[in-house]
Amino acid sequence: MVKRKLGALEKVEADLPNLQHKIRRDPKSYVEDFRAQHFQYESHREIFMAAPSSATDTGIISLRDLIDFIAHVAECYPEIVKEFPQQLIDMLTQHHLVLESELREKIVGSLMLLRKKDLLDSATLLQTLFPILISTPSKTLRALLFQKILSDLRSSNSKATNHKLNRTMQTVLFNLVTSDRTSSKGLWAVKLTRELWKRQIWTEAKAVEVMKEASLSENEKVIVGGVRFFLGGDQERQDAEDESSDEEAIDVARIRHVVGINKKTKKKSRAVEKALATVKRKERKKHNPAPLNFSALHLLHDPQGFADALFSKHLQSSKSKLNLEQKLLVLQLVSRLVGLHKLHIMSLYSYFQKYLTPRQPSVTSFLASLAQASHDLVPPDVLEPLVQKIANEFVSEASAAEVASAGLNAIREICVRQPLAMNETLLQDLVMYKKSKDKGVMMAAKGLLSLYRDVGAEMLKRRDRGKEASMGLRSGEQKAKRFGEQEAGEIEGLELLEKWKEEERRKRRLEKGLASDAEDDEEEDEEADWNAWNVEDDEDSDDSGGWIDVQSEGEIELSDSEDEGGKPPAKKAKQGDSDEKQQQGDEEEDAQAQEKKLSTLATTRILTPADLAKLAELRAEASVNALLPGSKTRRTAQSNSARHIDDPLTAAEIEGLASLSAGKATREERIAHAKEGKLDRSDHKSTTARRKLKKESEGKSTTNKEKARRKNFLMTLGKAKSKGKRSLVETRAVLKAHQERQKRGGKRGNKG
Amino acid sequence: MGSSQKKKKEKQKDFQKAKLKVGKAKPKPDNFTDTSFRSKAIVLSQQSLNTAAPSTNTQFSHHLSLLSSKSDVQRKESLAHLTTSIASRPVNSPLPQPVSAILPSLLPLILDASNGVRTQLLKLLRTLPPSDIEDHVSQLLPYIRAGMTHLAADIRVSAVETLSWLVDVAGAEVVSCAGGWIKTINCFLSILGWHTEESSKWSSVGRSTFGKSGTQGKPMIKVLQTLGEFLEAGIGSPQDISMETDSTQEETADIFSAWQFPICHSAHHMIPTASAPYAYLNLFGQPRDEDGEMYETREDRYRVFSNRFMKAVQLGLENARKEGGELGRASAGATKVLKEASAYGVGP
Repeated sequence: MVKRKLGALEKVEADLPNLQHKIRRDPKSYVEDFRAQHFQYESHREIFMAAPSSATDTGIISLRDLIDFIAHVAECYPEIVKEFPQQLIDMLTQHHLVLESELREKIVGSLMLLRKKDLLDSATLLQTLFPILISTPSKTLRALLFQKILSDLRSSNSKATNHKLNRTMQTVLFNLVTSDRTSSKGLWAVKLTRELWKRQIWTEAKAVEVMKEASLSENEKVIVGGVRFFLGGDQERQDAEDESSDEEAIDVARIRHVVGINKKTKKKSRAVEKALATVKRKERKKHNPAPLNFSALHLLHDPQGFADALFSKHLQSSKSKLNLEQKLLVLQLVSRLVGLHKLHIMSLYSYFQKYLTPRQPSVTSFLASLAQASHDLVPPDVLEPLVQKIANEFVSEASAAEVASAGLNAIREICVRQPLAMNETLLQDLVMYKKSKDKGVMMAAKGLLSLYRDVGAEMLKRRDRGKEASMGLRSGEQKAKRFGEQEAGEIEGLELLEKWKEEERRKRRLEKGLASDAEDDEEEDEEADWNAWNVEDDEDSDDSGGWIDVQSEGEIELSDSEDEGGKPPAKKAKQGDSDEKQQQGDEEEDAQAQEKKLSTLATTRILTPADLAKLAELRAEASVNALLPGSKTRRTAQSNSARHIDDPLTAAEIEGLASLSAGKATREERIAHAKEGKLDRSDHKSTTARRKLKKESEGKSTTNKEKARRKNFLMTLGKAKSKGKRSLVETRAVLKAHQERQKRGGKRGNKG
Repeated sequence: MGSSQKKKKEKQKDFQKAKLKVGKAKPKPDNFTDTSFRSKAIVLSQQSLNTAAPSTNTQFSHHLSLLSSKSDVQRKESLAHLTTSIASRPVNSPLPQPVSAILPSLLPLILDASNGVRTQLLKLLRTLPPSDIEDHVSQLLPYIRAGMTHLAADIRVSAVETLSWLVDVAGAEVVSCAGGWIKTINCFLSILGWHTEESSKWSSVGRSTFGKSGTQGKPMIKVLQTLGEFLEAGIGSPQDISMETDSTQEETADIFSAWQFPICHSAHHMIPTASAPYAYLNLFGQPRDEDGEMYETREDRYRVFSNRFMKAVQLGLENARKEGGELGRASAGATKVLKEASAYGVGP
């Protein structure tokens, strides 16, 4: 027999990682070895299954290593390992209670690995892991499973939304929450849903439904989890989004520069490619339209039913076990739902009655909730006693200034939403507080006053009404709204668009040399509009993209005066009726014409996308202009309407003015206030030292000059001595050499 | 300079005399060494002192517990002790502990990393009474199979040796217990590298498997011999295998068949001799697949073997015969078994 040559492989000590490596490189040749290891695994599994709890380390290779090994190379031999995933699942589900922790973690990890290699589908994996998550007593395993489940859901939704998987998972969570309302297991559903909502993986109504059921559960933790989701989930989502767009701003120029200097390796070039790819992806993402994500409160199916259930179950019933803090959370949610969807829960308002005393803990939250829960469809006679009570309890000369200002503020917030909740005597009484010596109270009273100048000036005393309101009242322009009266809907900023169009047309006509006032053929105009259908095609609107023209104050006035003088827009509409009509018509008639004009644009023609883009631009411009100093009335109007309907009203806003009346600040407070805006200066240092520190922290080195300055004195001595003895020729040579060096850019030079 | 001044002062300080003060302890010199000490004693309230040496039984169980020791020398010595105590017990006296108690601590040692431990283990196994082993074959086999497919060649060889012993002691049980037939043959094929036709076509005998090979040539011979024994036990023609069991059964069957109807079947109504006569029903275990199924009769085994393994084994044996030498001779034994079996066919 010929002496057989030993392969290099056979000489080395055999180990699984080595074999794994070999198999990766050449799966076909090592199939026999893999099969042997698979048999090995099978035997070990048999041994294990006979006695799962006494899984001792058998010899030098344990079941754990084998599982790891097979999971890592499974994709090379899909035929042999067909049953491997199912075996792991069985092992885990049947014995997870008694399994040794390391083996357990290894099995979970291997399952994830198999999922990644697509040897196992997501639904099966989640159906395996989720029941264990909610049943296992081990904390580490729960943490591991939660993380794995989350990452699997993320990865399966990363390319495209996996609707099927999401639906099944949501159904599982829904069933978990609804099946046993008293158990705290629903917390897992809450956690999972909240996390996925935050990452914008789940944005649909079904997820909201899960949270709705959670907040109607009977376990305090689950309730609070659900309620907090509705109160803060959307904010959290937005923050996460902002954060992700903020972070890791990659400086491409810097990367390119670094690559040019550092040693070139494959690894580094790969890193650069990756960085560039991410930058590219981000750019693309930026250009994409932002995904339309509704807030959770809007996605609720039956807000009235939900709010009713929440109120009666957690607040009204005497059996509810929630403490005050938790109750406040629920109350906030209920009141937000009521305010947002304009719901009617009559008993809610009488519920407040009990809590509206200055001695009630966290009463400002109650006040904020009450204000939030009032809207213009709440009957005024329900709100009136509450307002009266606040006024009686909070606002008096005897009460502390903070209390009075909080009460006034709360009353104002209620009345912003339902002005009819106030009666004349009370209002006139409260307005008197504008004379208060305390600044907080005074400001709060003035706020109330200015509100009623807008919405119900006739309730104020004549001298409090102010110029504009009394003029408006006399002309009949300003009228108090009646209960349930709604403003006619219109497209916001449409009049701006119309004005802009008019101007454009006039300009064009002037260019042609026609009379700017004359009626021209509409068809031509319209044709131009249809040509400029798309935003992209429209050169005019595109060149100003991203920039908003902020007009100076003078220009605004100019345009105003033009309006008064020429009144071309009004005329256009009128000319349709009668050409011969006199210019100086009644004011009322003019207003009518204005209204008519507003409706025409949207009803007579279709707004092209270009039109809409222009509309948005004009609206932005107008809002910026309104913020400029000058037009005071406009600004107040702005601030009243600035609050978005989705934003919650917080206790801090009710307390806001109280800080003004808090007397003199203590010395510490003043110091803290002074320090607020300044940078962190823990110790006194010179500017140079600071600069140096900054440089060091940025990882930059010293300049040549600094190096020269720092050089040891003794080292410079020799040169200094010889310097004086140099001959002229030597000096020249040195200077020349120096100059040369400077030109080259130092000893090593800039090139090569 | 400032610093040299300072240094001078410091130097002087060393030679200054420490001032003594009334009412204060004398300052300790610099080179003072603390020579005080505190003593601690461990007091044992009771000590287990026996005048008599521990009984053999307690020693036996002590060494049994030492089998899971970390040190392989310890394991080996314990095994040796157990071996001698079993071997030297009076004839016909029972074991110090029942086999069912000994085996669970012995089994993991089949996969032990140390060579000496494994050889000692085999010695111990050989001393155990064969009749007791028969009932525990199904426990033993998974460990043996795990050993046969182990990465380390030495462990593979010793596992094959263990299997050879087991076949010798309880051949019928080995081939008929759950998973004992197909899974074990699979292990054989994988150890010999005969699994697919492709792999047996190219390689020389004992296709080099991954890992450290043991001593050249020898292991293959051992494996082939054991394979022969195993096949003999499984599908050997019934005339020569279980001479005693089958022939006596047949004789009794002959006697019974001579009788009338109810009595001629009386053998089936007797109390069964096997320990778990209804094991094939698998009432309490995991559901089994084809590989893990029990093949209790020669007929079943032969059918499965000829369907799945016959071709590969024949080809492998043929190649081994071509190699000649000791290997060829070893293969001849297995070939003979195979020929007789196929001549006998499925059965009468």
